[in-house]
Amino acid sequence: MTAAFRAGPRPARRPDVLRRLAGASLPYQLLTFTVFAAGWELYARGWGGLLIPTFTETVAATVELLGSAELWRAMYVSNQALVLGFGIAVVVGVPAGIVLGRFRLLERFADVYLNILLVTPMAAIIPLLMMSVGFGLASRVILVTIFSIVMVVVNSRTGVRQVDPSLIEMARSFGASERQIWTRVLLPGALPAIMTGIRLGVGRAVTGMVIVELLMVSTALGGLILEYRGLFKAPLLYGTIVIILAEALLLISVARWGERRLTRWAQTTTARNAR
Amino acid sequence: MGSDDYGKERALIEIRGLGKSFVGQDNETVEALRDVNLDVGENEFLTVLGPSGCGKTTLLKTIAGLIPWNDGDIRIDGTPVRGPGPDRSMVFQNFALLPWATVLDNVAFGLRMRGVGRAEREERARSLIAMVGLSGFETKRPGELSGGMQQRVGLARALAMRPRVLLMDEPFGAVDEQTRRLLQEELLSIWEEHRMTVVFITHSMEEAVLLGDRVVLMSARPGRISEIVPVPLERPRSSDVGALERSGQYVEITAYLWDRLRDMHEEHRPSKVAG
Amino acid sequence: MSALADHHSTRAAPARKRPSWRRLPAAPISLAAGAAAWELIGQLAGMSFFPPLSTVLARLADMATSGLIVTSLADSLVNLILGFAISLAAGLVAGVAMGRYRKVEAALGVYVYALLTAPSLVFAPIFFSLLGEGRGSIVAVVVMYAMFVIIINTASAIQSVPVHLVEMARSYGAGERQVLLRVMLPAAAPMIMAGVRLGVGRAVTGMINGEMFIAVVGLGRIVTQAGGRFDSAGVLAVLLVIIAVALGAVALVQAVDRRITRWVPRTTRGNQ
Ligand SMILES: Nc1ncnc2c1ncn2[C@@H]1O[C@H](COP(=O)(O)OP(=O)(O)OP(=O)(O)O)[C@@H](O)[C@H]1O
Ligand SMILES: [Mg+2]
Repeated sequence: MTAAFRAGPRPARRPDVLRRLAGASLPYQLLTFTVFAAGWELYARGWGGLLIPTFTETVAATVELLGSAELWRAMYVSNQALVLGFGIAVVVGVPAGIVLGRFRLLERFADVYLNILLVTPMAAIIPLLMMSVGFGLASRVILVTIFSIVMVVVNSRTGVRQVDPSLIEMARSFGASERQIWTRVLLPGALPAIMTGIRLGVGRAVTGMVIVELLMVSTALGGLILEYRGLFKAPLLYGTIVIILAEALLLISVARWGERRLTRWAQTTTARNAR
Repeated sequence: MGSDDYGKERALIEIRGLGKSFVGQDNETVEALRDVNLDVGENEFLTVLGPSGCGKTTLLKTIAGLIPWNDGDIRIDGTPVRGPGPDRSMVFQNFALLPWATVLDNVAFGLRMRGVGRAEREERARSLIAMVGLSGFETKRPGELSGGMQQRVGLARALAMRPRVLLMDEPFGAVDEQTRRLLQEELLSIWEEHRMTVVFITHSMEEAVLLGDRVVLMSARPGRISEIVPVPLERPRSSDVGALERSGQYVEITAYLWDRLRDMHEEHRPSKVAG
Repeated sequence: MSALADHHSTRAAPARKRPSWRRLPAAPISLAAGAAAWELIGQLAGMSFFPPLSTVLARLADMATSGLIVTSLADSLVNLILGFAISLAAGLVAGVAMGRYRKVEAALGVYVYALLTAPSLVFAPIFFSLLGEGRGSIVAVVVMYAMFVIIINTASAIQSVPVHLVEMARSYGAGERQVLLRVMLPAAAPMIMAGVRLGVGRAVTGMINGEMFIAVVGLGRIVTQAGGRFDSAGVLAVLLVIIAVALGAVALVQAVDRRITRWVPRTTRGNQ
């Protein structure tokens, strides 16, 4: 009966373009960007000196870099470590997290270490990596893996743990075997959280790559940064940073998009509380 | 039964030609109130009854000065309403207690907002807590109280302001039936002792008749007053609610109210529109 | 009376009866086992980059008595506290503004999100060129790490304050300032504190990474120096100190959090 009242007279529609525009975010975003760029430009022109390029110089340098073979070579080398390290993190981290989520005893004893790993600044082990594995690809890959694997493990564990126990009982009551419980209940139920872990892992892997380049072995992108800094080529230095940032944001958006596509069903069927 | 049966005493609340439209998210307008005219006498207990979405809450909030309106005029004792004032306090359907504050602090909240000094506000709060029967619970937090006790706190908070007008928006709608009856009797006896003007919104015909001097019937789309029904039951009513509810007059009025409400619902049922 | 109550509770909750290992404190046992394994593997393997725990602890004692650890720790803590204080103040102000005013959120939202997810250390070279080789750059890196998560959490905390509480306060005559101080901030406190907790963890990371990149002061610098000397025991000794700082900082924030949000019912507490 109440529904009848919802279907009352049509409300008047006023397609007010100005209002719509003011309600949208884009103009404000553009405004922020303009203020930022103008502030940067003015500051750099007034007080910049040799070390701080203007906004326009940076844009020009970024475009120039994008056309240079040197940048793409560096990108290729840096991203090797990213791809390999992240791949290992997923292949090892997801099963590890699932096992921790299913076997409580193991989890109780691993918990301290996961917590320590979550808060410890991993960069501090870089010197050890260099001593043990050297300066090659291996140590770069290991660092990226260490950076990203914790997120993957922790979220996969949470995913398995948050599967409603009554669903498992339900499956048992219908005679499901342990294997069927895994493939039909636990894994599908944990998938959204696992995907969240993978998405967060991508972010951490990119961070790992940047740290490799800036703190460990400046072979590629980090090498460019060092070189441009040494030669006082400030616009190119800033341009490189812009490109690294752009790559990071691009990868993270792709991961978020992928997560949303793969777990669309989950938005209605399970509570998505894995951060 | 006309709308100006009441009128021996001077009206405390005068509402003239009140109209209120909301602008929704997509710029569509919803007409919540149209041409509402209402006088509420000094120390009158007025109940407002109507189908869901007919604008009862909106009416109460305009009297409280919480939301602006488009047309018309609201006066309290001759003074136009321009915003919330200490002469009116409100009791909310969902209690609206501060979960981090103690019962004492919750009851004293309004006094604090009005700049009443600590000693006085605690003294007044304590006596109100005693009046609603919550002595001993001063230092508890809302999370530790039952729904009925929480609404007693809400009532005490409103009464602590010593308002001339008490605005109550379905105050007992969120508590169970038995608690609700207790609260109704308690409200009656408090009101019979400390007379004040009450505007009380409800979904329940029985509640409207039990408590009110008059029942305002509202209809939806747009919200307007369709009828004002006087309730000539004897007071005090708190002494024997049971006998009152068995009286012929009580039964007759509630039946009449339901007839009128059912008509309103029928009018808006799509299948009946043609016939 | 109490015996009766006891009897009742054991009968009412048979699920509470757990196998004996359940009652052991897992964390200390696990840490002790880890320490023993570290010592054993370190002794047996004899690899220069993985010294046994005893060697590391001895090295730590050395560094502590020579004062190296103490001065570096003090320097690091100054960086951390400065950076975190700035992050907290700016984060709360920006977060409240974003949560309260739609236009501010429209103007800043995307950028704050982008800066939250971007690898913060890429900004280190920029700070280096802006602020020079000194404490200012390190503090700026700490702020870059810690601030955005505080902003985001504060903004969404303010946005999720129940409307009816704000309305209640206004009906009792509260002004904008009172609504903010007496209703919005207390109501938002649990979620804000969750952001602050994440922020402090990130601040410690920012401190170490900043100090390693701009190696002028602090624990980050002595890690790098020890690495340069191939002094693996030194690296691990400092790492232990860093872990202690990180855990200590988080524990401190948690203690404050527990004081502030005591009113939140146990069942609705977020379990991060
Ligand atoms: N903030 C708002 N924005 C847009 N429309 C609103 C708003 N508040 C109320 N309305 C609309 O105004 C009409 C009246 O709402 P109101 O809350 O006053 O009804 P009500 O009689 O109190 O209903 P109920 O009995 O369910 O509490 C409804 O159609 C509602 O959708
Ligand atoms: Mg209502």
